[in-house]
Amino acid sequence: MQPTTDPAASAVLAVVFLPFVAAGLVPLVYRLVGERTAYYAAAIALACFGLVASQYGTHGAVSFPWIRSLGVSLSFYVDGLSLLVGFLASGVGVLILTYSGGYMHGEPSQPKYYASLLAFMGSMLGVAFAADLIALFVFWELTSLSSFMLIGHYQRQESSQYAARKSMLITVAGGLFMLIGFLLLHSVLLDVTSGSNAFSIVYMLENPELVQEELRSAGLFLPVLGLIGVGAAAKSAQVPLHIWLPNAMEAPTPVSAFLHSATMVKAGVYLLGRFRPVLVSHEWELLFAILGLTTMTVAAVLAVGATDIKELLAYSTASHLGLIVAGFGFASELGGETGAFHIINHATFKAALFLVAGIVAHEAGTRKIENLGGLKEDLPITAAITAVAALGMAGVPPFNGFYSKELLFEAAWEAAVHAGGGLAYLYPAVAVFGSVFTFLYSIRFLMLFFGEKPTGLHKVHSPPKAMLAPPLLLGVIAGLVSLGGILGTFGIHFAPFDHFVGEVWASTLPPGSDLHGGFSYYFPDHITPAVTMSAVTLVLGAASYPFYGRLHEGVNRVTDVNVLRANWYYNSAVFGLNGVSDTTAERVQNGLLRTYATWALASVAGLTLAGYAATSVTLPAFELSKVAVTVPILLVLLVAIVGAVAVSIAPSHISGVLTLSILGFMVAVFYVLADAPDLALTQLVVETLLLVIFLLVLDKLPAFYGNTDRAKMARDGVLSAAVGATVFVTVLVSTAATPTDGIASFFVEQAVPVGGGGNIVNVILVDFRAFDTLGEISVVAMAALSVLTLVAMRERGETQ
Amino acid sequence: MSTVIARTVTRTVVPIILVTAIALLLQGHNLPGGGFIGGVLTVTAFALIYVIYGLDYLEEELLHQIRAPLLDSIRHGIVENYQVAFGVGLAVAVVAGLVPLVFGENFLYQSHWYIKPLPIYGKLHVASALAFDLGVYFVVVGALLTILAVVGTE
Repeated sequence: MQPTTDPAASAVLAVVFLPFVAAGLVPLVYRLVGERTAYYAAAIALACFGLVASQYGTHGAVSFPWIRSLGVSLSFYVDGLSLLVGFLASGVGVLILTYSGGYMHGEPSQPKYYASLLAFMGSMLGVAFAADLIALFVFWELTSLSSFMLIGHYQRQESSQYAARKSMLITVAGGLFMLIGFLLLHSVLLDVTSGSNAFSIVYMLENPELVQEELRSAGLFLPVLGLIGVGAAAKSAQVPLHIWLPNAMEAPTPVSAFLHSATMVKAGVYLLGRFRPVLVSHEWELLFAILGLTTMTVAAVLAVGATDIKELLAYSTASHLGLIVAGFGFASELGGETGAFHIINHATFKAALFLVAGIVAHEAGTRKIENLGGLKEDLPITAAITAVAALGMAGVPPFNGFYSKELLFEAAWEAAVHAGGGLAYLYPAVAVFGSVFTFLYSIRFLMLFFGEKPTGLHKVHSPPKAMLAPPLLLGVIAGLVSLGGILGTFGIHFAPFDHFVGEVWASTLPPGSDLHGGFSYYFPDHITPAVTMSAVTLVLGAASYPFYGRLHEGVNRVTDVNVLRANWYYNSAVFGLNGVSDTTAERVQNGLLRTYATWALASVAGLTLAGYAATSVTLPAFELSKVAVTVPILLVLLVAIVGAVAVSIAPSHISGVLTLSILGFMVAVFYVLADAPDLALTQLVVETLLLVIFLLVLDKLPAFYGNTDRAKMARDGVLSAAVGATVFVTVLVSTAATPTDGIASFFVEQAVPVGGGGNIVNVILVDFRAFDTLGEISVVAMAALSVLTLVAMRERGETQ
Repeated sequence: MSTVIARTVTRTVVPIILVTAIALLLQGHNLPGGGFIGGVLTVTAFALIYVIYGLDYLEEELLHQIRAPLLDSIRHGIVENYQVAFGVGLAVAVVAGLVPLVFGENFLYQSHWYIKPLPIYGKLHVASALAFDLGVYFVVVGALLTILAVVGTE
């Protein structure tokens, strides 16, 4: 690696937070310029792109302290991989937002749309540059959140709601798995490094071997690998978690192109690339090569079964993500090269194809594959873009996807040879099998533009320029990358591009790996196993294309079987759980105060007693000699007990409340006798007030309890006994525990010199524990507001 | 309607309760008392007025304010004053917590000083915690009176 400069802290910080600030301003901007907000957002994206570009060539970390006491800092790391994702997020962002200006014309709730898109872009840039596990997790989940907003853009449609919930459930749940993985990683790192480094990704990248050794010796290597794998798989739609991606196509098409092909789904792949240098190993290869190849094949087969052009592209995206995951999965250097190069190729051709699909849907008015065909005459430029992009997606030489697929074949072949043959030859075999299907659906998509126009397809209009320019640009980029391969054969290399891909590649490898003289790609000029595999793919694909219709039906027949569909499991689980929560709500929260009280008290008592039982707390022995009760205290307590008994047999509310306050006042007297003047004062005053309020509401209650049935009375009796027992045991256990250097002595010693007050209770309340008090008075204020809202405003709730 | 005896006693007792409440608030740092107790005691004074004289008396006879409440269902405009009271209290408490930040201390840091010499008193002990306690006092007074008035109206 050549020497590089450090990144500029201000630029990195700006690139991550500028989109968020801009998102906040969207409603204001929308009010001023209306639908042209699209170009404002595109300008922001362009600014981010410029900022990312200004950091090109730098390498290193910048850090700002965040949660000091936990060693969490907001640090950013700049290297090839993060720049790549940064370029994708901001660069594709510019195109998508420009395209939206045409596509979203006349659509509802545009401010929300642009704000979410900008916020998403910021989160994605955050994911790319985060150098800290916690920051990475936060930005990671923010992308899921903004994706939720965008998928559910048409919020009144049931299918949108379903799709948004599904993607949220799967990706956020995956993120939580990842968080557990991070925390395990953190706990292991805490043993070897200072606290400030334990969340640091930079530290891990600098000491990959040490980290892996520590993880293995702690026995946590496989759990961490698996948990991070689940997070990545959920985000990058790997089988069987791929099911959210096709539904996510409910979002407006620019969103699909941006989030669900070029950027957000790349977050999972990015995560693998990021952790690849640290965790790469035999297990890594086994897990991710199999996961990736399976996804690549299964999703490609499902894409052939698709009936909707966006559905086809969604499955195809999952398939290509599988390819990238498999690439990163292969432990050899070639694997990293595959992943790095295919991320770029996939982003160019797939975003272009999505935008093309948007144009087709917009102008032809349908997305059904069977209703489309012969679009070339009406949409010549779009057809040309599609040709370049779809052939790249198919892996047809010399288009860009061909070169990265060659690398995958090479990596798969090498891994098989390296593993000593046998079952390992399944790697290349499956890769070829999956690629055949990739070829098939890519050609099918391309054929939308050729052949006969089906009857019923009316005259298709030309798209506005704002919608045509972005896919054109992407198509040109894909074409240039393709051209680079041909030129490469003659020894002419486009050096800056090769250098950049080389940088990305390098950041997915452990330090000290051999780059074979840097990245370059060219059209193969002699027969290698990989070339043979490509040839087999093309021949098989071309030979089976005439049978596409039958394959399509065959796939759909298989996916009609419930147990074979991942979706069926998801739906059964979610709707089953819906039923459970409906019945639970009826029992636990039925709107009757006594039901709430019963459940709350029962769970408090149950949990507390179970906690004591689980930790096998022993009750202190009862010693009569140690009981120091004076006669007055005894008398007061006896009166209190009499009061308590009288409450439960009181014939009316009035006498019940009055006897209850006997109990309260006796407790106050007890405080006086026990030398606790503050408590006594409070108890007295509160008791008085309570009595007044109680008497005020008595009017509203039924005069008499009526004849309650015995079962209910028995249940209430058991409940009150359980609550009483819980409090009793708690008091015994907590007063028996007398730690030697308790905090009590600290308060007693420090109240006067530090707090400056002789009343320890008050000093604790307003000084030592003032934050608690602040919380409590907020609760008091909230309670007053709730009473006000519930009682005084109840009549206007439904009408306004 | 309450008896003359009750009315007369209330007239005498309420000022005493209020003075006691304020004394409890002010002396709270060194002697039994504090914002919470002071607040609750103040509310009992109001509760006494409400019970003996009725809800309208305080509003019309003592404060001479007759205004239409925001909502018909509340019927008493004075509830808004109570709302302001606990809002202001919360604000006072938070500001009291924020002021130390200006001096480079932590949120809610408290200090205390002796002001001397003073005529009559000699020296006066002032704790910054009093400001925070004042916030607590107003929150308690405002919130409890809101509840009392709303429930009482019912």
